Amino acid sequence: MMENVLNMLPTWLAFSPLLGAMLLLLVPQKRTGWLKRLGILATFPPLVLALLLYGTFHSGMDSVQFEHRLQWFEIPLSGGASWELTYHMGVDGLSMPLVVMATVVATLAAFASTYIQKRQKEYFLFFLILEMGMLGVFLAQNLFLFFLFFEITLVSLYFLIGIWGFVHRERAANQFLLYNGLGSAFLLISLVGLLVLFGTLDFNQLQELSDHPRTKGVLSQSPLKEIVWGIFLSMVVAFGIKLPIFPFHRWMLKVHTEAPPAVVMVHSGVLLKMGAYGLIRFGVQLFPDQMRTIATTLAVLGLVNILYGAVLAFVQQDLKRVLAYASISHMGIILFGVASANVSGLTGAVFQAVSHGLISAVLFFFIASLVDRAGTTEIGKLGGMARSAPVLTGVFLAGGLALLGLPGMSGFVSEFLVFVGLFQQEPALAAVGILGLVLTAAYTLRAVLATGFGPLKSRLSDITDIKPSEAAPMLMLLAFILLIGVYPDVLGEPIKATMQMIASRIGG
Amino acid sequence: MIENIWAIPLFPLIAFVLLLAGRNVFQAKTATWVGSLSAFLSFLGSVAALWVQLSEGNHLSLFPWLSFGETTIRFGIELNQLNVLMMILVSLISFLVQVYSHSYMKGDQRVPIFHAYLSLFTFSMLGLVLSPNLLQLYIFWELVGVCSFLLIGYWYFKPEAKRAAQKAFIVTRIGDVGLLIAVILTLLYVGNLELTTIFASLDAGEIPPGMVTLIALLVFVGAVGKSGQFPLHTWLPDAMEGPTPVSALIHAATMVAAGVFLVARMFPLFQSSSVAMDTVAWTGAFTAIFAAGIGLVQYDIKRVLAYSTISQLGYMMFALGAGGYVAGIFHLMTHGVFKALLFLVAGAIIIVFNHEQDLRRMGGLWKTHPTLGWFFVIGCLSIAGIPPFSGFFSKEEVLLAAFADGRMGIFILGIVTAFLTAFYMFRLFFLAFWGKSSIETRGKTVASTMIWPMGVLALLSILAGFVEVPGHHLSFWLREGSDTISGKVGEASIWVAFFSIAVSLAGIILAWAVYANKSIPRDLLQKPFPWLYSFLHRKCYVDEMQRAIVVEPYRMLGFLLSAFDRYIVQGIVHLVAGIPRFAGAIVTRLQNGQAQTYALVSVIGLVLLIIGLTAGRLFG
Repeated sequence: MMENVLNMLPTWLAFSPLLGAMLLLLVPQKRTGWLKRLGILATFPPLVLALLLYGTFHSGMDSVQFEHRLQWFEIPLSGGASWELTYHMGVDGLSMPLVVMATVVATLAAFASTYIQKRQKEYFLFFLILEMGMLGVFLAQNLFLFFLFFEITLVSLYFLIGIWGFVHRERAANQFLLYNGLGSAFLLISLVGLLVLFGTLDFNQLQELSDHPRTKGVLSQSPLKEIVWGIFLSMVVAFGIKLPIFPFHRWMLKVHTEAPPAVVMVHSGVLLKMGAYGLIRFGVQLFPDQMRTIATTLAVLGLVNILYGAVLAFVQQDLKRVLAYASISHMGIILFGVASANVSGLTGAVFQAVSHGLISAVLFFFIASLVDRAGTTEIGKLGGMARSAPVLTGVFLAGGLALLGLPGMSGFVSEFLVFVGLFQQEPALAAVGILGLVLTAAYTLRAVLATGFGPLKSRLSDITDIKPSEAAPMLMLLAFILLIGVYPDVLGEPIKATMQMIASRIGG
Repeated sequence: MIENIWAIPLFPLIAFVLLLAGRNVFQAKTATWVGSLSAFLSFLGSVAALWVQLSEGNHLSLFPWLSFGETTIRFGIELNQLNVLMMILVSLISFLVQVYSHSYMKGDQRVPIFHAYLSLFTFSMLGLVLSPNLLQLYIFWELVGVCSFLLIGYWYFKPEAKRAAQKAFIVTRIGDVGLLIAVILTLLYVGNLELTTIFASLDAGEIPPGMVTLIALLVFVGAVGKSGQFPLHTWLPDAMEGPTPVSALIHAATMVAAGVFLVARMFPLFQSSSVAMDTVAWTGAFTAIFAAGIGLVQYDIKRVLAYSTISQLGYMMFALGAGGYVAGIFHLMTHGVFKALLFLVAGAIIIVFNHEQDLRRMGGLWKTHPTLGWFFVIGCLSIAGIPPFSGFFSKEEVLLAAFADGRMGIFILGIVTAFLTAFYMFRLFFLAFWGKSSIETRGKTVASTMIWPMGVLALLSILAGFVEVPGHHLSFWLREGSDTISGKVGEASIWVAFFSIAVSLAGIILAWAVYANKSIPRDLLQKPFPWLYSFLHRKCYVDEMQRAIVVEPYRMLGFLLSAFDRYIVQGIVHLVAGIPRFAGAIVTRLQNGQAQTYALVSVIGLVLLIIGLTAGRLFG
């Protein structure tokens, strides 16, 4: 009985944000205080369920746990055969940490959403639908279901950017949709391809079928071989746009600068990680041979991301853009991890996904309070804030140190693991890439010091420091960052078995 | 007792958390108490640990920290001779510095934060020296870096402090990346990062020789950054922007000591590669004379001391590079004591002169503040290597190590540096204490909480040398139980001792003649070699070169790429986005090319369609 209830956990978890959303519908538009409070509260059921998931997760298991599977519908084909689509949820060592991270970030982003000034009701509705979408993405065990959740995140994010963003919000939303629509199209193409080839989109079945020696033999011949490659590459492009891989990054700059900071917390923290998740889940796990073939290319792309992002972050005049380019640079680390195709690299990629999620969240929470107070994020207009807002500056300093990979914080563990992985495969690329650590320190300190240090700008002299109610969520995020940094086995142990299994598929 | 060693670094960590949390509650006095008490408890613990080490021997305990695949990285605590010696040095000096800061920082707005940072610094350094695992060491290594960053930039509102803090972090991080690569390569070749395992596999010859050299050199790159060796020394003089107690801590016991400690800790690695040993020795020797040369012509009291630190660190490095394991550590220890003394006195001098740091405006302090004078002269005699002050004995070991090693070039550089050291230190002494000053110093008292830490350090500066001489107790103890650390025991060539004393005395007399007696004109160097003078005065243009070669091109690259990103990459996007618009315009002959609207409508439509088609089946 208990077992059955627990197996429903992924389903409950994915749809639990809707509970609050329903209640939200009952609150009148004008009661903004209630809307905000309820909006925050609505993110707690998923958080609690995710922590329950972490607590009951079987660490030693490398396969999917908490499986929940239902027949959904069939598409009959001629000759009595049919395509079967199932509702299939579950979680393993790769998705569990992302789910937990997503719920943490969502809850704290809900706190940061209290800075939202208009139409709070719709805002929180879209926000909660977005949360449902992203949890579903990580929990779906069927590619069709995955795709549905993926699209839900696109739509809800489109509205969140387009309605509640800064001045150029509409252009940003449109550009976001254009790129991601393109990505979805690629994803859809590969989905259809897989369905035609294998007759199923259930992840387990796909994996078993593709592992089968006979299918392997069939698929290794022309023209099926080329078709498989086509499917694989269109997946890589789809998730590459999401991550984003250079040169597909322009849209996310716009999102970082134009979306409300609370939404960027989720976007940069969680949604970009769907790209990382997709690359590992569907790239490495489903197409290990193809992935191995393009590993060097991926590593080169990772290097480009790291250096390109870091150099550009150094010369930006707006904090939001600094952080946007920093995200590009940090996603390069994930590419490095995936490209190294061994257990330490892949483990590092997951660590980086989780860690960057938390770090982005804390930094954009800071941006949210900064915008609320100073009304600007331009570096030239900031300075000396350590005097008027020491706690706020301290949070930025701590977040910045986490961003530059200070040991004792989560970012260091992921960078270490990734470079251990990559040095085994591509020592030359790794040796150049590791210089990124110096560049990261350069742009991070420049931003932190320009904001908090130096003489206090007169227009900032009367801004107030953050209230405890604002500081608490930020400190919460920092506590998670420190926890992973100080004792990484808290994350390493549960994901170990799965990562070993995935790495062994690709031969690392 | 031996199981509780982990508690020693914990005291300052607790103090850090307490002070940070109660920064608005604590008064300055309470904050000093909390900080000093925690350091003092660490000091007591370290002394107890020494006793335990002497009676029960070394100790090691580990726990799993991170596991991935087949690898498990274990962290823990290791107690051995070198570690316990460092613990005592670190905790003692940080205790004295915290007490001293009480008066020095009087009136500052954020005293609790200051002590919080100092405590975190102490914690990080203690954690570093106790590490049995190279990765753990690296973690604390970076924490030490970040603490010095925070303290150098403590007066955050000063633009110079801000720049100096940033520079300190980034320049040392260049070195850190070298160390990190070394850590990673070690893991790949040894399969483990515990130092005992690394040394065992070095012994067994499991690492290819070329790789040993590469790893050792990369470790040394890390040490070069932290210990201010050429060419990564540029952050250290700028770090003088921090409050003077911080300089004392950074220069004596924490930050810069870490690099020398690292080389000593990894000594078996270096010994396995003659290339690495040569590199260490020559880098150290060059840094020693180079920094001493610059120190000759600087006029900021703290900068002179900063260059003297760089130079003395060079001594330690070349001692280690010459195989003088004990000599390097011995000099690290005595230097820690007398350099802390010199900085604390310098801090008092600066206060007496109303925060004036320019030596040209100082003078006459011997008459008004003889106590400071005596303390300072003890420090100067120590660093100049005059017996029986501690610096004499350790410098002697260093020179003997170089001599015994047979690298005559290094030995000669060491001797010349000894002469320069004696000269510039006494130049500093005579400029500050002889002659006259335009600034009124009479009646300015130095608080007793500043005096007695200096007193303790002065006493130790006199006594510290006797742990080794006579009887070589330190040598025997440090080498006990380790056959990996061979090194050469310097044959006490008596002429080396006489020669170095003579050279140092010559330096002192010359300084006296120029700056006190004034029988030799001051432009002794400036007149015959004006180019050399300005070259040294501008710190050999290393800063300028680094700016021109690294910083500015990097900034340029940033702006170029920025333009590339904005116009080229974005342009391609517009082009791609324009294709459907263009196609749409042709097909429909309408100018309504809203590709985005279509995209949104189709995405939403698709989602709704699928849900509508399928949801019924799921629940039905």
